Amino acid sequence: MRLAVFMPELLRHLFKKPATVDYPFKKLEVPKGFRGTPFLHPDICIACRACERDCPAEAIEITSVSDVEKKFKMVIHNDRCVHCAQCVDSCPTNPVKAMEMDHLFETAGFDRHDLKMEWVFVRALPKKEPKPAAPAAGPAQP
Amino acid sequence: MAVLKPILYLVVYPGLLFLFVYSTFCEWFDRKVYARLQNRMGPTHTGRWGLLQPVADFFKLMSKEDVVPDKADKTLFTLLPIVGLAIVTTAGLLLPLWSVSETGFAQVSFSGDIIVLLYLLSLPTLIFFLAGWSSTNAFSEIGGTRVLTMLFGYEVPLFMAVLSPAILANSWRMAEIAQFYRAKPLLILPNLLGFVIALICVQAKLERTPFDIPHAETEIVGGTFTEYSGKKLAFFRLMTDIELVVSSGLIAVVFLGGFPGGVGLGLVFFIIKTLFVIFLLSLIRAMTSRIRVDQVVSFSWKYLAPLAVLQLLIVILIKGLLL
Amino acid sequence: MKFNIPIGPQHPALKEPISLRMTVEGEVIRDVDIRLGYNHRGLEKLAEERSWVQNIYLTERICGICSHSHTTCYVQGVEKLMEIEPPKRGNYIRYLVSELERIHSHLLWLGVAGHEAGFDSFFMYTWRDREVVMDLLEMISGNRVHYAINTIGGVRRDLDEGLVKKILDGIQVLRARSEYYFKIGANEPTFVGRLAGVGFLSKQQAIDLCAVGPTTRASGVAIDIRKDDPHAVYDEVPFDVCTADSCDVLGRTVVRIKELMESYKICEFLLKNLPAGDIAVKAPKKAKPNEVVSRYEAPRGENIHYIKSNGTEKPERLKVRAPTLANYPATVEMLKNGFIADIPLIFAAIDPCVCCAERTVEIVNARSGEEKVLRFSQLRALAAARYKNSPVQRNAVWPF
Repeated sequence: MRLAVFMPELLRHLFKKPATVDYPFKKLEVPKGFRGTPFLHPDICIACRACERDCPAEAIEITSVSDVEKKFKMVIHNDRCVHCAQCVDSCPTNPVKAMEMDHLFETAGFDRHDLKMEWVFVRALPKKEPKPAAPAAGPAQP
Repeated sequence: MAVLKPILYLVVYPGLLFLFVYSTFCEWFDRKVYARLQNRMGPTHTGRWGLLQPVADFFKLMSKEDVVPDKADKTLFTLLPIVGLAIVTTAGLLLPLWSVSETGFAQVSFSGDIIVLLYLLSLPTLIFFLAGWSSTNAFSEIGGTRVLTMLFGYEVPLFMAVLSPAILANSWRMAEIAQFYRAKPLLILPNLLGFVIALICVQAKLERTPFDIPHAETEIVGGTFTEYSGKKLAFFRLMTDIELVVSSGLIAVVFLGGFPGGVGLGLVFFIIKTLFVIFLLSLIRAMTSRIRVDQVVSFSWKYLAPLAVLQLLIVILIKGLLL
Repeated sequence: MKFNIPIGPQHPALKEPISLRMTVEGEVIRDVDIRLGYNHRGLEKLAEERSWVQNIYLTERICGICSHSHTTCYVQGVEKLMEIEPPKRGNYIRYLVSELERIHSHLLWLGVAGHEAGFDSFFMYTWRDREVVMDLLEMISGNRVHYAINTIGGVRRDLDEGLVKKILDGIQVLRARSEYYFKIGANEPTFVGRLAGVGFLSKQQAIDLCAVGPTTRASGVAIDIRKDDPHAVYDEVPFDVCTADSCDVLGRTVVRIKELMESYKICEFLLKNLPAGDIAVKAPKKAKPNEVVSRYEAPRGENIHYIKSNGTEKPERLKVRAPTLANYPATVEMLKNGFIADIPLIFAAIDPCVCCAERTVEIVNARSGEEKVLRFSQLRALAAARYKNSPVQRNAVWPF
């Protein structure tokens, strides 16, 4: 039991720079692989609806705009999204996935309807792979 | 015209306005030192370097809604912050800030004013107890009883520690004590033990860690101040700040040799010496954790009071040997 | 003269709402009445409406501090139901994140204990050092809380060489800091004076009241699921179970700091011996009808998940028994004959994660104040009767 055992450390900190990041005036760097908000690459999407099925927060909504032209509309409800990136994992397109997470984290707003994003696109044709091991790129039935 | 000078003295310097400005500066200093010791920033963005933060807090509290509990005694509940503020500002008037010359002392200096100052500084404890009692809230009652229990612990060592330099200097008048130690600076050294004891007891009087038991935030919500809000709480916080300035001023006068040199130089010495004492108090605050109220009483009577008696013995011995 | 003090549901000492009604006499507590249910969110019912993959993210959100424990416990159980086994590398990464989470949770607890005792400087320092672990976890998994690194059949993200080196460096820094905190915790007289002799729970009481985790290990009872029921990597990794004999809050602090040091050793072993290979196997969509009990040593104690499947892609029943729920009866014993000043410390010493434990609800009649306990079969019958004739809804109805 020693007296004032904490004191040398405390006094040493008087001369160090504070550990606080002065947040709104200085920004923080997020690492690569940070899970921000999801967004779509509409030219690659094959509208298989795997992301819509697997989303735990029901934040992805894919509706068919026109059956003839194979046009679809995807709405991502960023106010419901929990940023889990399961949509990115479930997306079967390769080599580049149609769903991707960006690095934005300052997504606050005053109205939850401002946080919804929409894309209207024509479904891309799935690549025909010769004898695939698992037919992951085939068009799934909705 | 003759009546203007005392009014200026009471309201501007060293009265209300000076105490308000300086105590908010001391609270800023305390918060900044505490934060830097903990590797954080402290107030930064209100005013340059965050200097206006305590003033902003005061004005914010003044503008909030004032809720008085139904069953509380309304007169007592409302009067207590005002009376408390009056007591500590009166105590502030007694500090010898304005020694005009070596022989002419402060405006309100008289023999025995150190006793009056110590008495006036004990009254806030009673005010806190009454504040807790009149709130009729279980948490405030516990806070009130804790304040009085702590009073049994630290008051006796504080009196003994502060009065030993007075005994050595052969005077009960603060300005004279300060002048004695300025003339013979080596005699400050035997009082070092009393200095340490007085620091610890003042920390207990001001209810700061390790003794912030009466308003322990994590245990009894707000302690004595649970039911206070708005203007009354603003006055209580201002009262604690001014109590901080007055207590550190008392320690600076009695142990560190006072504030010589008239109006201007006296103010500079006041600021330097009180900031030094407040720095030490903030260091104690950052270094320790809160202790229980029964541990306060046992610690005071087992360690502080015997050491204070030892300090008195040392002073009496030196007085007999040297003077 | 006895009077009642309500600690909670709203109180600065509690991070989450729980009601502890104390009957006090002066400063001494005579009796405690615990009321739960303020944080109940209906997670077990929600779990029945979601598929196996979606439930990973639901169980993760049972708690913020021990999120990975709930996911791992669930995923272990589901992998057993689906009869798949994750590859070795996947297992190593999964339990590496477990140990990193244990480090983060214990550093958080040290800070909270300091704050409850009034030792704010200690609180600031431990939380500053916890940022090292949070940044490492952010680099591994993409988020500081809710790592979501598990998937059924393995993990989702891989570690590369640079990341392994960064984690090892971070652990070195943390090890030096933890030894410093051990020195402070054992030697600062005001802090030790608050912790020693407080919240006494004897060894026999700990066994009788079924306490789990560091709470009982501080009373000398050496139970640890990682040693008693080794699964996945724990039969290969060398480590010791940490116990203390003082049966009080100081013992629990010492146990947690010792566990920190053990976790550093385990992390270094896992990182240095990381095998090459895949990180996940593909999981089927449906599971055969079966039931499984999955156990896991969370930072707070033993976490149990019971999962029952009926052959579809959604679970039939998920039951969560969090460690804090097992520690509540022990808390009541510890609080009796203690001081009011010790309430926050005793309660914080069991490391309460109240939202983990909100699986039970007491029915209180609002008008008469009468309390009733219903059996689970009665509750299910009531729910079935209410929803029997309502239209089938596949998903929740979103109002906008």
